[in-house]
Amino acid sequence: MSQRPHPELVVDGYPSRRPRWVELATSADHKDLGRILVTGSLGFLVLAALQLLLMRLQLAIPENSFLSPVTFNRLLSSYGTTAVFLFALPLAFGFLYYVAPLQIGARGTALPRVGQTGVALWVAGAAVLYATFLFTPSEAGINPLAPLTEAAYTADNGVNAWITGTGLATLGLVLLAIDLATTVRNLRAPGMAWRRLPVFSWVAAVASWLMLFIGPVLLAALTMLMLDRNYDAFFFTDGGGGAPLLWQHLSWIFFAGAYMLVVIFAFGAIAEVFSTFAGRPLPSRAVTMASLAAIAVIGTLAWMQNMLTSPIGIGWMYFAMLMSLALVVPVGLVFYNLIGTVSGGVGPSRAPLLYAAGAVFALSVGLAAELSHSLVGAAWNLKGTTDSTAATHFALGGGALLGGLAALHYWFPKMTGRTMGEAMARISFWAILVGLVVTFAPLFVTGAGEGQVIDAYKYYAGEGMSGWNLVSTIGSLLLLLGIVLALLNAIFSRTGGPRAGHDPWGGETLEWLALSPPDPHNFDVLPDVRSARPLRDIRAAVAKREGRAEPAGESRPVG
Amino acid sequence: MAPHSPGTDQIATLLWIGLIAAALVVVAVNVGLLASLRRRRGGGDAARDGRAEGGRRAQTRFGAALAAFALVLFVVGVVFTEKARQTPDTGSAGLASAREEPLRINATGQQWLWRYDYPNGAFSFYKLVVPVDTAVELTLRSTDVVHTWNVPDLSGMREAVPGKTNRVVFKADEEGTYEGRAATLSGQGYASMGTAVEVVSPQEYENYVKQLKADIEDAQQRVVSLIEDGETP
Repeated sequence: MSQRPHPELVVDGYPSRRPRWVELATSADHKDLGRILVTGSLGFLVLAALQLLLMRLQLAIPENSFLSPVTFNRLLSSYGTTAVFLFALPLAFGFLYYVAPLQIGARGTALPRVGQTGVALWVAGAAVLYATFLFTPSEAGINPLAPLTEAAYTADNGVNAWITGTGLATLGLVLLAIDLATTVRNLRAPGMAWRRLPVFSWVAAVASWLMLFIGPVLLAALTMLMLDRNYDAFFFTDGGGGAPLLWQHLSWIFFAGAYMLVVIFAFGAIAEVFSTFAGRPLPSRAVTMASLAAIAVIGTLAWMQNMLTSPIGIGWMYFAMLMSLALVVPVGLVFYNLIGTVSGGVGPSRAPLLYAAGAVFALSVGLAAELSHSLVGAAWNLKGTTDSTAATHFALGGGALLGGLAALHYWFPKMTGRTMGEAMARISFWAILVGLVVTFAPLFVTGAGEGQVIDAYKYYAGEGMSGWNLVSTIGSLLLLLGIVLALLNAIFSRTGGPRAGHDPWGGETLEWLALSPPDPHNFDVLPDVRSARPLRDIRAAVAKREGRAEPAGESRPVG
Repeated sequence: MAPHSPGTDQIATLLWIGLIAAALVVVAVNVGLLASLRRRRGGGDAARDGRAEGGRRAQTRFGAALAAFALVLFVVGVVFTEKARQTPDTGSAGLASAREEPLRINATGQQWLWRYDYPNGAFSFYKLVVPVDTAVELTLRSTDVVHTWNVPDLSGMREAVPGKTNRVVFKADEEGTYEGRAATLSGQGYASMGTAVEVVSPQEYENYVKQLKADIEDAQQRVVSLIEDGETP
């Protein structure tokens, strides 16, 4: 921050010079960009849930002929790419990008044009991926393992388009990460030392640094694959010095890191919601923040956890197991601190709290299931089965879906000035939670119990899988329904929800000091931060000035 | 999965250990969460003050407990995994020639079949015939994309990656047929790519591979003679 005094411009409302969509499309404001990311990724969430439902319909009964193998593989590839690159990661970055600058008391981001370019690249990537439905989408799978992706085995343009689309989206996220990391590093309000940083802003810094490490790894791998397919290179081919296993290493470094990114995003959002609704800070902020950073580092180092059946040395497998099991310590400490926050009881249970609690439940199930996958011998039985599908979906469904919706319900009043309809929020929450459990819990049984293999478009009768698969299909319908209800609720609440005021939940971090929705410059006066709960200090100061002993329930915007 | 090999016995034990550890974690987290959410928050600032779990000592103690839990799991994991990947010894009912060294068979994955090459030069597709109570070592290769060899009753799954070899060992304890499905997406025919391991007595195995070799040579001879006669086989 520049220390020189500069003039303050205080204007009550801004006249819009151009149509709203032009303003939005050309804006470099982190709030506009964050809203584009959040809105876009929630739209892709509906598409992903729809694709999941179509695949589940194919798998409802044994040897079904609803979808052809090629169509199924295309839906599978599209579903995986949508869920990771167009939903989970951009949703996480959308909220981090919107909220973190407000939480640290900044007037904007440090490199707004870099962030704007990032969002534009992400939009371009999404457009390329979905444009493939006009010709030939990729059919090579969620993480398409070389050499299936080589031109010899997938000759059409699908994989080329997949490389381009995921590459553009990833590059976009890397640019956003550059902007966000710089912002949290340089633009914190006076007095906001690292130790006073809100947990969600700390997650913004950690997640950005993580993306700066893993994003370029995937981009390099995608470039090599593009060269392989189109310019006779041989990075991932067998022979000529190429190594198909190289793709597995590079791509799993990215996917393992992305998994951790989503998990720490969810933990950050849950921490904010829990401490606001419990009216207490985390039992130990230092331990929680260190643990979140440790999850990012150790979890990414465990990338070979995904390669326990590949021809790698047994020593590497034990290294992967050691890293996975080491995650128990930071993940356990985060759970401990989250539950410690609410253990003194909570205020009235509202939608954000409900979603955050659901996210803790789903994350605990998914991460515990990953714990059993980390035992090398057990992974030899579980890895290629639907048990791993279920584990991933509980963890990422818990993180990105329930955690993301907890963030949406919590910060929606800040973004729009209105609260989301409470009754509908509750209905959609239970539909999503029950849908998630009914869809994926049966896959634990078919995977670990009956050995149903992943990614297959059919299974056979008489192997004990039929009933469970039917239940799972019904669950996925409920899941889609719940998601649609939650998003309809958001759409209608945007203009019709109850007015929220600047601080509907009694939050203690700086974003609740700004107006709802915030002015383009966020704050008229930069707050002076003296603790990790700056808004509480400000309320106390206001109360003191007005001669009251206790801070009143509803405080006014300051400055 | 019904274990029928010493290795899968160990894997089954590890699966139970994993399940119990996972269940412990899920119960611990969610009981704590539910108990907290049912409690209403008390008034005033007293409830906001740090409680016991906020103390540095409590955090350290809990972290140390977690580390101990992880360490125990790691040791248990290594011990059982090492047992699971040991080459078993051929038993008394097994193939006599496999007493010293395991019976070595090459398994080659291709879209969307497995080919098995026996030591005497015979080969078969889809079905692998092995003698009971005999240590068998499969060397996995792939001619095109990544395939996963997966017969859960006999062994853990392993990937066949082009340009690399991978290893599977098992010793079937009972005669019968064990089926398995490939477990890595390999293209359109992936869902139908399976294999069957037929476990028979050593005598039947010897006869089978001898007959298989004779049949193959017979067929090759017939093709050669057809070509020599100027016909298209």
